[in-house]
Amino acid sequence: MEASDRDLMARLASGDREALGPLMERHHVRVYRIALAYLRDRDEAQDAVQETFVKAYQGAARWDGSAEVAPWLARIAVNHAIDRYRRGRRRLKSETPLDAEEHGERIAAAAPSPERRAMDREAGERIAAALHGLPARQRAIVVLRLYEEMNLDEIARSLDMRLGTVKSSLHRALRRMRVALAGLRP
Amino acid sequence: MSLLATGALDGPERAAALAHAEACAACRTDLEAAQDVLALAGHDPVRDALPPLPVGALLARVQARIAETEAAARPGPPRWVKVLVPLAAAAAIAVVTLRRPSPEPRPVAPAAPRQATVAEDALRRLESSMARENAVRYLNDAQDVLVTVASAPLACDRKRARVDVGEEARRSRELLSRRALLVETDRAEMAGARPVLEDVSNMLREVAALDPCSRPEELLAIQRQMSRQRLLMKIDLMTWELQG
Repeated sequence: MEASDRDLMARLASGDREALGPLMERHHVRVYRIALAYLRDRDEAQDAVQETFVKAYQGAARWDGSAEVAPWLARIAVNHAIDRYRRGRRRLKSETPLDAEEHGERIAAAAPSPERRAMDREAGERIAAALHGLPARQRAIVVLRLYEEMNLDEIARSLDMRLGTVKSSLHRALRRMRVALAGLRP
Repeated sequence: MSLLATGALDGPERAAALAHAEACAACRTDLEAAQDVLALAGHDPVRDALPPLPVGALLARVQARIAETEAAARPGPPRWVKVLVPLAAAAAIAVVTLRRPSPEPRPVAPAAPRQATVAEDALRRLESSMARENAVRYLNDAQDVLVTVASAPLACDRKRARVDVGEEARRSRELLSRRALLVETDRAEMAGARPVLEDVSNMLREVAALDPCSRPEELLAIQRQMSRQRLLMKIDLMTWELQG
C-alpha cells in the first residue's frame, strides 16, 4: 500500500530523506505548474520546484499535521516564486512567453490540432503579458485561484493576507487582466 | 462579478451575486468578460506543461542541495553558542584572573566590559538584521502599490472618465503608518537606504492623498515623477543590497 502524504511528512520530519522520492513523485508536476504559471520561465520554475522540496524537508518538523500537504507545498512554492520574482524583476521583465511547441513532446494530454495549439500559444503569450502587469501578490492570488483552484480562505492563509484583501485583490487583478486580454477570444 | 466568475463565492454570497447579475445587464457583461479571462487561462499551455527534468534527476538535485546546506551548517556551532561561548570564556578568564594570587595588583576590570561588548555586538547584529528585513518588506510592499499605480489604471465605477486608485491610496496610508513604526532610518547601516526610503515615502504620500476616483491627469503626474526618479529600479537595487 502506498504511504499517505502524512506518513511521508512524518518520515521527513524524523530526518528520513528517502521519503522525498514518493512525495516528489506525487507533487512535483503540480508544484512545477504553479511556479511556471507565476514565473513564466522554465528554468526558474524548475529551480522553484527544487527549493520547494528542500524547504519542505527542512520545515517538515514544523508542519502542522492536520493540514493537507498539497496546499502547504503550493504555499511554499508560490512564496518562493514571489521572492524570486521580486529579486529578479528587472531580469524577468524580458521574460519570454512560453512556447507551446517546446512542450509539445512532453505534453501529457492528447495532442490538440495545430490551430488549437496556435491559439493556445497566443493565449499563453497574452496571459504572460497580462500577469506581468500585476503586482507580485495579485499575481500570486490569480495563480493560486485560477491554476491551483485554491479557495479564498486557503489563499489568504497561504499568502498571510486578510480574506477581504484577497477578495479585493482578485477582483482588481481580474479587471486588470480583462483590459490586458481585450480582443482575445477564448 | 469577477469573484462569481472564478467560482470563489459560495452559499449566500454566490446566490446574492447571481440574483444581482440577473437584474443588471452591465453586471452580466462584466460577468461574461470575467468568464472569458478564465476561459483563456484554461488554454494557457502552462496547464499541461511538464518539468524539463525527470523526477529522478530533480530528486537527486534536491538531495544534493539538502546535503550541501547540512554540510554548511555543520562546522559552525549555532549562533547562540557563538554568543554564549565567548561570554562564558570571558567570565571564566575574569574569575581565574580575580582568584590568581599576583605579586603585583593587576587590573581585572576589562573582563566585565568585554562581556558586555560581546553581548552588545550580538544584539546590535540582530537589530541590524531586523532593521534591514523591515526595510525590505516595506520597500517590496510599496513597490507593489507603485507598480499598480504605474501600470494601466482601471476605470472608476462611480465616476466616469476617472480612474480607481482607492485601494492603492488606502494601502499607501497603511504603509506610511507601518514605516513610522517599523523602519528605523536613523540607524547607521540604513544611511545608504535613506534617500530611497524617503523618495518612496514621498511617493506614497502622493498616492495616499489621491481621491479614490481620481482624474487621469493626477495619476499621470505621479507616473511621470516615478519614471523621472527611476523609483521602481531604485527599489529593486536597494532591496537587493539590503538583502545582501
